[in-house]
Amino acid sequence: MRTTRYAPTTCARAWLSLALATSLGLTPTAHAAEDDKARITELEQKLDESLKMIRELSNKVEALEAREAQRTSAAGAAAAGTAAAAGTAAAAATASAAVPPGPANPTPTAPVGAATPGAPPVVGPPAPADTGARLTHLEETVSQMANAPQRAEDRGMAMHGFADVGAGTHNAQFPKYQGADIAELDFFLTPQLGARTRALFELNFEVGADGEVGVDLERAQIGYQFSDSATIWLGRFHTPYGYYNTAFHHGQWIAISLRRTRFLEFEDHGGTMPAHTVGLWLTGSQRLGEQRLTYDAWIGNSQRITGGTIDMNNAGVTAGSTMFGGNIGLLMSGVLDGLKVGLDAFQTRIENQDVAPSQFTQVQSYGAYVVYDTDRWEDIAEWHFFDNTDLTGHTGTHHSDAGFVQIGYRGGRFTPYGRYERGSFNQSDPYFAAQTSGNSYDREALGVRFDIDLSSALKMEFAETRYTDRYLTRYGEALLQYAIRF
Amino acid sequence: MLAVLVVTLWAAVPTPVSASATRLTDLPSTWVDDRGQPFDLRSMYGRTVVLSMAYATCHRVCPRTVDYLRRLQNEFDSRGVSAEFLVIGYDPDSDDVAAWRQYRRTRHLTRTNWHFLVGARADVEQVARQLGFEFWKMDQHVIHDGRVVRFDQRGVVVSSDTVGGL
Repeated sequence: MRTTRYAPTTCARAWLSLALATSLGLTPTAHAAEDDKARITELEQKLDESLKMIRELSNKVEALEAREAQRTSAAGAAAAGTAAAAGTAAAAATASAAVPPGPANPTPTAPVGAATPGAPPVVGPPAPADTGARLTHLEETVSQMANAPQRAEDRGMAMHGFADVGAGTHNAQFPKYQGADIAELDFFLTPQLGARTRALFELNFEVGADGEVGVDLERAQIGYQFSDSATIWLGRFHTPYGYYNTAFHHGQWIAISLRRTRFLEFEDHGGTMPAHTVGLWLTGSQRLGEQRLTYDAWIGNSQRITGGTIDMNNAGVTAGSTMFGGNIGLLMSGVLDGLKVGLDAFQTRIENQDVAPSQFTQVQSYGAYVVYDTDRWEDIAEWHFFDNTDLTGHTGTHHSDAGFVQIGYRGGRFTPYGRYERGSFNQSDPYFAAQTSGNSYDREALGVRFDIDLSSALKMEFAETRYTDRYLTRYGEALLQYAIRF
Repeated sequence: MLAVLVVTLWAAVPTPVSASATRLTDLPSTWVDDRGQPFDLRSMYGRTVVLSMAYATCHRVCPRTVDYLRRLQNEFDSRGVSAEFLVIGYDPDSDDVAAWRQYRRTRHLTRTNWHFLVGARADVEQVARQLGFEFWKMDQHVIHDGRVVRFDQRGVVVSSDTVGGL
């Protein structure tokens, strides 16, 4: 635990931002923030000077009044004469206050009363009522300026992200490699827009199957939040089938496990399902008493297979087809708190562009999931079934399925987990047959996540993978990953 | 690609979070508590206040923050100090009154001096900014650290503790 005792204002991050902005000749926002700080400091200095001056003038008035009272008392003067003298002194004080201290009007450094022989000791009398009100107003203004909500344009764009590196007997995504690897550097941009407009961009630098680093705009979605229970997004998003694909994203730090299941991997990492969709997505949740109903409905570009990999058609489709689906879930409460169950389905037409002429397959998928997520447990079971129809070769409808069960136990810094996953893909189905990773397999994995601190974790996993149809082989893996968020 | 990386790294500098001392009365005052009742933060003036932020489906950081608050409560009890414990929800979209009520029930947080507060998104963001709670939302996740801020009876911040440390 670290304890921060508040000290005056300096903020290292602000200086860092300022230095960066200055060096790049950019970000008026940082300048604006510094201007405000400078103004506040200046106002505080002026306030201090004013208080000092008021105190000194009050002392002067007090001394003059005392002297006048002594004089008039001795002379037996009338009370009216005393009042006139006090009025003169007050007028003089006001006039003096209007003149700033300077060489021609030096500010005295000691209380007048103390320097006047015979005068009574003077100890900071209260300022006149109108001056007090002005001071209060000034204090409030300074406080408001210091605590005013920053305008969005002053805050700049918040940006965060994830990164991970690793080592192992195989690369976690591309098993033909072994040794040390860099996996990804994932920047997450969430610009602050209006009260209801949302935006999300995910820019990922990642190693691909060829071993080279590439850049991918993994998500680019702009949305409008109608209410707490409905947001509509347009752009490229994670296809909301099942649970895992929208609960966990590219940053591996967020997940307990070291990697996604093989069939749920992203397309360019060997996934066999369309992990991204470019289109329109309506999502939200609604209370049903103590339970919460979650829903998703989406429609987007149909997808294609090129180079043995699914592609989400970022630019749009040429064959004029769509992909659409829905997902409905129920979050329980009471004794079932932490339990979520759900169903999903989607349909699309996939064009295989690796053959000429292109082949088309109608993909229909149905899924179900059960999740138990509490302070102690993160258990997920998710299964998908496919009934895909060969639209070109007319070989009929082919059934396949894939799923996994994962159990994780949060035990402080250590979170051990185990997972079983399986993909049983019909090789007569042109959708799976056309994909490089479309072979059937099963995998068992045991691993542990160790949280080094709140923003970094070390993970270790031992896994055994078996390929069961297109290739008949098996391999074991010992994997290490260092994942962070920032 | 290098240019993209340079621009990205420049933009990646986190937004500065204000760490200037803030009084309780400077914070947005209008909230709703986990009983669904209006809660005015100004009503806490004159009392020792312990304030933190959390979200109900957090299973990594917030449980540790709540444990820390429990220990703090025990410490106060043993010293005979009374204090109000406020937990403000990071995510008003999903952390509504019912969510916090459920949260208290399942974690046996029954003390009446504990208040789980729901507010407008802008107010939540303002409190976070003023008190130095840095957070960002990624889909249904709220990425954040653990922090507990203490105010004295004059509503002045006396300490800000980073908790949830492992």
